[in-house]
Amino acid sequence: MPTAYTILRVRVTAQDADTLRALLRDARPDVGGRIGQNPDGSLSFDAYVSPEQAQDLAREGVSVETIEDATANGRARQAEVGEGDRFAAEDAVPQGLALKVQDI
Amino acid sequence: MPYLNINEVESGVISLAAAFPKAELVQLPEPTFEGRTCHALRIGTHRLEPKPAVVLIGGAHAREWGSSEILVNLAADLLHAHTGGTGLAYGGTSFTSAQVRTIMEELDVVVFPLVNPDGRNYSQTVDPMWRRNRNPARSGGNPAAIGVDLNRNYDHLFDYRTAFHPLAPVRVSDDPADPDQVYQGPEPFSEVETRNVRWLLDRFTRTHWFVDVHSYTQKMLYVWGDDQNQSVDPAKNFRNPLFDGKRGLKDGLLYAEFVDEGDADDSAVLAERFCEALKGVRGTEYTPEPAFDLYPTCGTSDDYAYARHILSDQEEEKILAFTIEWGTAFHPPWAEMKKIVLDVDAGLVQFCLTAAA
Repeated sequence: MPTAYTILRVRVTAQDADTLRALLRDARPDVGGRIGQNPDGSLSFDAYVSPEQAQDLAREGVSVETIEDATANGRARQAEVGEGDRFAAEDAVPQGLALKVQDI
Repeated sequence: MPYLNINEVESGVISLAAAFPKAELVQLPEPTFEGRTCHALRIGTHRLEPKPAVVLIGGAHAREWGSSEILVNLAADLLHAHTGGTGLAYGGTSFTSAQVRTIMEELDVVVFPLVNPDGRNYSQTVDPMWRRNRNPARSGGNPAAIGVDLNRNYDHLFDYRTAFHPLAPVRVSDDPADPDQVYQGPEPFSEVETRNVRWLLDRFTRTHWFVDVHSYTQKMLYVWGDDQNQSVDPAKNFRNPLFDGKRGLKDGLLYAEFVDEGDADDSAVLAERFCEALKGVRGTEYTPEPAFDLYPTCGTSDDYAYARHILSDQEEEKILAFTIEWGTAFHPPWAEMKKIVLDVDAGLVQFCLTAAA
């Protein structure tokens, strides 16, 4: 259940560019990524907002769809951050992720 | 291997410099507000004269964690492959040992993987959605007003209220508590982190290419960000006060930012090659395009880097500048982030090869 401290990732879709510009000017949501154009001409972007702000974004010509609980997702990712220092040992260096391959 | 914490980004860079003679450790001059010293790496064979340089920076926006991993792993790939005399394979995109050697011998590749360690640490340990640095100078004691958006703090059209059309939805703010987290700071280069990047460009005087790694939307962007590009009317440029109050409307005919046609073509080619090599890894499509969107930006690193040669009137100082927007979320699970690192690093190796050609 979202709390006052929850941040949601929502997908905001505006019916046209003028509606979107007005929304961005008025509401100033925390925008993630960039604006995309849909096949029907509408425009979408992701915003990171509280549940209350998400409700405020919805208006004529604008729909708001919740994608995920960004706070919970972020907390899960924080558990995937390394602890200590894996490169502290004298012979420990980053290896890179590409395969090192001999020329054919 | 999970995401790197901030100590590991630094120790990874330092350990690479210690292990490989062809990696030079570069200490940035200014510590952050929380007292952290940052380092970059210059990678490449040594020459008496400076070589053309590609400067790659990441981690300016705190929550875009994977940018640092992309750059640390790119540095490691190039150094291990060059030392071992091997090529590199990123999924379906491969590079020969000769291509790796070309990059190392013809270029200085300057990698600065973590511009904003204070912000990353806060994002990784407290608020995962934090974007800015942690400078409290203008917060007035309000925790929500701490920090500056570093990618709005460069000196390019900083006075946005004068430069842009009143109806242009410029994605910047002069309010420290703006909920969009795009507070620009009190003046250009008010922040140590952006001054460190400027110092890096000043130090590597033969920098011809600049890439700022961000997230997200799967795009490879090139200048300009304040308005649409045009190569017809040089008078329409960011320095011309006649066009103050007219910039930033996508559909308007009042203004479009002048860019030399050759630079626009070269930038497009570099961005396209990046995207092609990236797609070869596992089929992911990134889009190469100018940075201007429905909402304009100002004070960004790429526009600043390209504009430097215009302000100095020194053609030899020209820097073609880019912004990568990797992935489709700020914090993908590490298993997915590893695949994104492979994608983007393949694109960056090809970017360097194209630059060196």
